[in-house]
Amino acid sequence: MNLTKKRLSQSALMPQGHKFRLIRQAAQLSFIGLAAIALPFGAQAASDTTKNMHQLYEDNCASCHGSDHGGFIAPGLNSESLKGRSPTALRSLIMTGSFDTLMPPFYGRLSDDDIRGLVKHLQTTPKQANPSWTIDDIKASIKVYVKDESTLPAKPTYQVNSMDDVIGVAARGKYGRGSGSKAVFINSITHKQIGEIPTGTAAHIIDYNPANPRWAYVKTDTAEIFKVDLYSMQAVRSVKTGFNGPGLGVSRDGKYIMAGSYVPHNAVILNADTLEPLKTFELEGVDPDGKMVSSDSGMIIGSPMDDIFAIALENAGQVWVVDLKEGFPVTKIEKVGRHLHDAFLTHGGSKLMVAAYDDNIVTAIDLKDRKIIKKLDAGCVPHVGGGAAVEVDGRTLGFGTNFGDCDKTVVSVWDLDKMEVVKQVPVAGGTESPAAHANAPYVAVDIISKDRRARTIQLIDKKTLEVVKTLDVGGHAYFPEYSADGKFLYVSAGYNGDEVVVYDSNSLEKVASVPMESPAGIFSHGRVRYMTRGLSPDEIKGAK
Amino acid sequence: MRLAIYSGLLLLGLASVQSADAASIYAGEAKAAAVCSQCHGIRMPSADAPFPPLAGRDQEYLKTALKQYRDKTRKSDIMNAIAGSLSDDDINNIASYYAKLKP
Repeated sequence: MNLTKKRLSQSALMPQGHKFRLIRQAAQLSFIGLAAIALPFGAQAASDTTKNMHQLYEDNCASCHGSDHGGFIAPGLNSESLKGRSPTALRSLIMTGSFDTLMPPFYGRLSDDDIRGLVKHLQTTPKQANPSWTIDDIKASIKVYVKDESTLPAKPTYQVNSMDDVIGVAARGKYGRGSGSKAVFINSITHKQIGEIPTGTAAHIIDYNPANPRWAYVKTDTAEIFKVDLYSMQAVRSVKTGFNGPGLGVSRDGKYIMAGSYVPHNAVILNADTLEPLKTFELEGVDPDGKMVSSDSGMIIGSPMDDIFAIALENAGQVWVVDLKEGFPVTKIEKVGRHLHDAFLTHGGSKLMVAAYDDNIVTAIDLKDRKIIKKLDAGCVPHVGGGAAVEVDGRTLGFGTNFGDCDKTVVSVWDLDKMEVVKQVPVAGGTESPAAHANAPYVAVDIISKDRRARTIQLIDKKTLEVVKTLDVGGHAYFPEYSADGKFLYVSAGYNGDEVVVYDSNSLEKVASVPMESPAGIFSHGRVRYMTRGLSPDEIKGAK
Repeated sequence: MRLAIYSGLLLLGLASVQSADAASIYAGEAKAAAVCSQCHGIRMPSADAPFPPLAGRDQEYLKTALKQYRDKTRKSDIMNAIAGSLSDDDINNIASYYAKLKP
């Protein structure tokens, strides 16, 4: 639901991409065969170097820059995007990292020869075709850490009043992988860490099972999903659903998970219990400009209104509604907008607000009638994050963040009953994720502009719709989230801040700090009760 | 932004009559965030990083080490390059900032 950052480089594979993919697969197979034969002789200097460099790329760069070299949460690194760049400058950038971004320093981790080799490799490697990762690959990737789940404790092994008080943080780890990469769970009453789940590569999304409070699902940047037992704070199973891509949703009955990828262009429905794949979907379709394109997966969301998943096809500009019944039939809603990304639900889950980057709009979709209601002005590159909606004076107001760095940076406020723009609130810079809570007076937005402003969070008063306070959190402050009771505001001081900072929601005084490496998305377990942050739990009850 | 730092410095200078070598941990914080923390972190470097922690280290040691890196009497490709851009004031400020931090 809560996706980070936009994909900086986009692909629009034509239909013949399929043929290309098959040819490439065949080529890969014979290459592997050749390498296996050739390896013992150790004389294949040139191809060995390419292979080694490719492996170095996969092991160090691909989780952020894309397994296909096409970019993911960081820019694409290929012969086209790096054309004309000075190899010396690229080498020093890899050595020192890039300040004010997630790019870490590789000095001391990679040898100078490797760094030079990588630069050469990247500048001569074109963006790769979409690799395949089939339902069989997914099935074979399942790992079981706890064989007999009946041996798990029947209740939490730690003190907690309600599981809704658990708050999860996706800690990326400085290098996007390694021992710093984990999902960290905190008691949002005491602000003490309860447990942590190592994820190997950067944790990106945490979703909770609406039907059973013990299960959480953590998705990484390399598209593994961990099924986590929150009672004993351990992973019980994992599955790899692709190479890159954050899309993840859980159905309202807690029986199904849907996951979507950027690489390859597919999505899969899994059994939420066993993580067995049930059906895969090739993501392709006619985009708003009439062109047939293969597409990245954007947000995936389960609705409390019905047994469905909604999934955004980023490049095809379509939203698909999948019914959770025999054969998982799909209803396609076309021409939603150009380059879709994330979305949030309103009106008991019957309406979906989808952000379209390239049209600067948010499109309201009726999930009952399965058609577009209206396209609303958003701002400069809308990125709604997990979304926020609040009820004020009888109106339901939605808040839309925009991460473009334009002359005029605003947070849009929409009346979600009338589906019209109420106000565009000026803020200090680009924003990525709003947080709201029915019991908290402010809607918090994270300023992400690449300078000192990135340290700050701004608070918008729900009633006056004005920015009333700016908090200097430190680090690169992003992904605000309220505790389930609304009393505390959690913020990641990411990048070099290396802590999650907790504020009192009313006084905005700092009350606690929880250290971890490069924290990013924060996900309260309370989300399963209020559907969209800021709404009252009654909103969901009304839906059922 | 720069103005804010300078005016912050100015205020600090006015608030307490400082001797010439008195260090500003606020200026140190800004410089450390921009120059050092990418590798060394603020309180701790990454668990996977090959860089030593600086928080809580002895102030005089940090100063000496940075000056040696700057003067290239202590060799390190990357530290010679990075410390080369630091003034005496920068070094004093950074050292006093990191020395005061709890790891």
